[in-house]
Amino acid sequence: MSATTDTVGTGITGWLGYIGGTLAAIPSQYRTALRQRRRNTIALTILFIVVVLYPAVGHYVLADFSRRVFPLPLPDDTVSTFMTIFAIMAIGLNIVAGFAGLLDLGYVAFYAIGAYCAAFLASPHFGALGINLVFLGHVGPGAAGIHVPFWLIMIVAIIVVATFGALLGAPTLRLRGDYLAIVTLGFGEIVPLFFRNLSSVTFSLTLGPIVISLANVNLTGGVQGINPIDPPYIPILGWVFDARSGPMAVYLGLFLLAIAILVARNLEHSRIGRAWGAIREDETAAEMMGVNTLRTKLLAFALGASFAGVAGSFQASYLGASTSDFFDFSISILVLIMVILGGIGNIWGAVLGAFALTYLDKSLLPYIGQRIGDVAPSLPNPAEYNFLIYGVILVLMMRFRPQGFLPSRQREAELTVHGLQDAEREMGVEVETDNVDITPHGQSETGSGARDAETTDEARDL
Amino acid sequence: MDQLIQVLIIGLANGLIFALVALGYTLVYGIIELINFAHGDVFMLGSMLAYFLIAPISSGGWGIFPITVDTPLPLKIAEILAVLAICMAAMATLNVTIERVAYRPLRNAPKLAPLISAIGMSYVLQNIGLVWGSAYQRTIDSVFPPTNLLEPFGITSVAITPSQVFVGILTIPLLIALSLFVNRTRQGRAMRATAQDPDTAGLMGVDVNRTIAITFLIGGGLAGAAGVAQLLYNDYTQYTLGFRFGLNSFTAAVLGGIGNLQGAVLGALVIGEINALSDFYLSPNWTQAIVFGVLIGILVFKPTGLLGQQLADRA
Repeated sequence: MSATTDTVGTGITGWLGYIGGTLAAIPSQYRTALRQRRRNTIALTILFIVVVLYPAVGHYVLADFSRRVFPLPLPDDTVSTFMTIFAIMAIGLNIVAGFAGLLDLGYVAFYAIGAYCAAFLASPHFGALGINLVFLGHVGPGAAGIHVPFWLIMIVAIIVVATFGALLGAPTLRLRGDYLAIVTLGFGEIVPLFFRNLSSVTFSLTLGPIVISLANVNLTGGVQGINPIDPPYIPILGWVFDARSGPMAVYLGLFLLAIAILVARNLEHSRIGRAWGAIREDETAAEMMGVNTLRTKLLAFALGASFAGVAGSFQASYLGASTSDFFDFSISILVLIMVILGGIGNIWGAVLGAFALTYLDKSLLPYIGQRIGDVAPSLPNPAEYNFLIYGVILVLMMRFRPQGFLPSRQREAELTVHGLQDAEREMGVEVETDNVDITPHGQSETGSGARDAETTDEARDL
Repeated sequence: MDQLIQVLIIGLANGLIFALVALGYTLVYGIIELINFAHGDVFMLGSMLAYFLIAPISSGGWGIFPITVDTPLPLKIAEILAVLAICMAAMATLNVTIERVAYRPLRNAPKLAPLISAIGMSYVLQNIGLVWGSAYQRTIDSVFPPTNLLEPFGITSVAITPSQVFVGILTIPLLIALSLFVNRTRQGRAMRATAQDPDTAGLMGVDVNRTIAITFLIGGGLAGAAGVAQLLYNDYTQYTLGFRFGLNSFTAAVLGGIGNLQGAVLGALVIGEINALSDFYLSPNWTQAIVFGVLIGILVFKPTGLLGQQLADRA
């Protein structure tokens, strides 16, 4: 990208000139890049510092400040940890719903499966069945049940959940739009039901000489769920990173979140990410261009699901328990609202939405409820009616700001000429306004953040 | 055998209530291709309203129509009709309002935008039910005596109760009336035309917005009637009822072929029987999973449903 290519002459002097020119151009290029991305760089730096410092010093410095000056509560360690958990999930759902445009209303199923992966692999639960296995863990040898270290659970959870994502996806992804949403909803309801109901399994299978017979086996702990689950201990060079509670748990969550963001960003800009975009905008056209739509959608489902697996197993380890009641349909909707609120299709939007909504749900509303309760105990507690507020948010967002508060740049570019210019200026490309076609990418259907692959014409097609 | 017949009778009564709700789903989907997620909660609010109208003041209701087992029959019928009229009118109004507020502004948005809006609306209504009726189950004393109507005929092994007959008397005329309305009246023809092609229907002089509003009006009215039937048949209501009934009824609508009125009724009867059979022979814990299994199975293998027409690009 350097202007020095013009100076390339012949012979050794030409080469030296070329190299010298290139080297001389680096600082100015860097400055240009910094100038163009200054806003992002500064924002990211501040964000990074806040995120790194907050869990450790937040309470000492800010708690007093929040008590005296700023009347709203600050998220404590538990809330902060849940912020990271939900942010990981929001990123995962954003891959399915935002990148690939597939509305998944049963995302909680993958979260539940992830949590139960941790519950099965790191608890005394299976000791009752006589299955005892301690593997590389921090639980002493001879302990009842299966005990596997945290990082291994993560890997297993990712694989298992991605497999379930693919299993669900395989038969259902031929469906479009709203039908897919309903099928995933059904799946999201069935999975927790299985975890709830498989508390006394009687099962016998005869395959020739092999007879498998189980009588009244408590597979999932039923309504009580499974506890205790081993806390997330992570050994690093002989030192044990104890992320059971407190700021360490927040840091572990942030670490997982950082990996999730990195993976999602790379996916977005990869070949598969572009294929998702193509499918989202126009599935038929994408197929014509040689995109294997079924395989691409399946990948979106499996990869998106694996994020929920990470979040679920981390949550189960963190809480030390896993109960089926936690994995309600409302969790799916909560994560969906996070994605929509932040700006569907945008990773940072999903993270922001998750942080904001988790804070609202677990910190702000209980606080307001407590305050109201102090003043007038007869008034309703907003924390009990949180989904009333979320429902209103959903309706209002769809009507007034479907692209979310932090819309993805590409999406905004597709929406307006103004946005296109902004986007290209950011990328350092000059835009000649005369040549800008108002709908260059043929996006008649992108009027909303719902990212449907279908045009309004198609929606009317019967 | 008698046991099976008994279970099937229970399933039939369940299915008839599902049918009223399922028709609301199928009417709306047929005309604007929206899964009206909030419909189940409209039904729930209908039963909640019926509860407050009927329940005596001593148990937290308004006691306006205090129907009990001992109420003389003509008065009982009059009171039930009054409750029915109020609930149907209220839920019809509510449903039209929802369409106006949450769906009409999104008429030209991508298909998933109104669906998400409907999910939001569902939560709003559910929480209104929670605020209004509190979190626990609201029960009334049974309005109908637990007698067996087959006893005079010398059958004692199988029972049909007055409440089951009531469900039949309530729902079947409504189903017939709806069928006549859609197939025989001018407005019904406008509905069918709009369902086929709203733009062309508009060009032919059909007021599309008004037709859609009327569809929601009818759907809401049926949901209100279903709410009354649910309360008087099962004697309870709760704010979570909408989600469960809604999904059962939606499954019924899909099973019958969404957009198809006869299909919705047929599907509802099948789902009602599946519910009853599973409750009785398997375990109530698994019923919901089985209904969802049916839903997924149909959508995956036969998205047009049992009686559905060819839906080109629908699924």
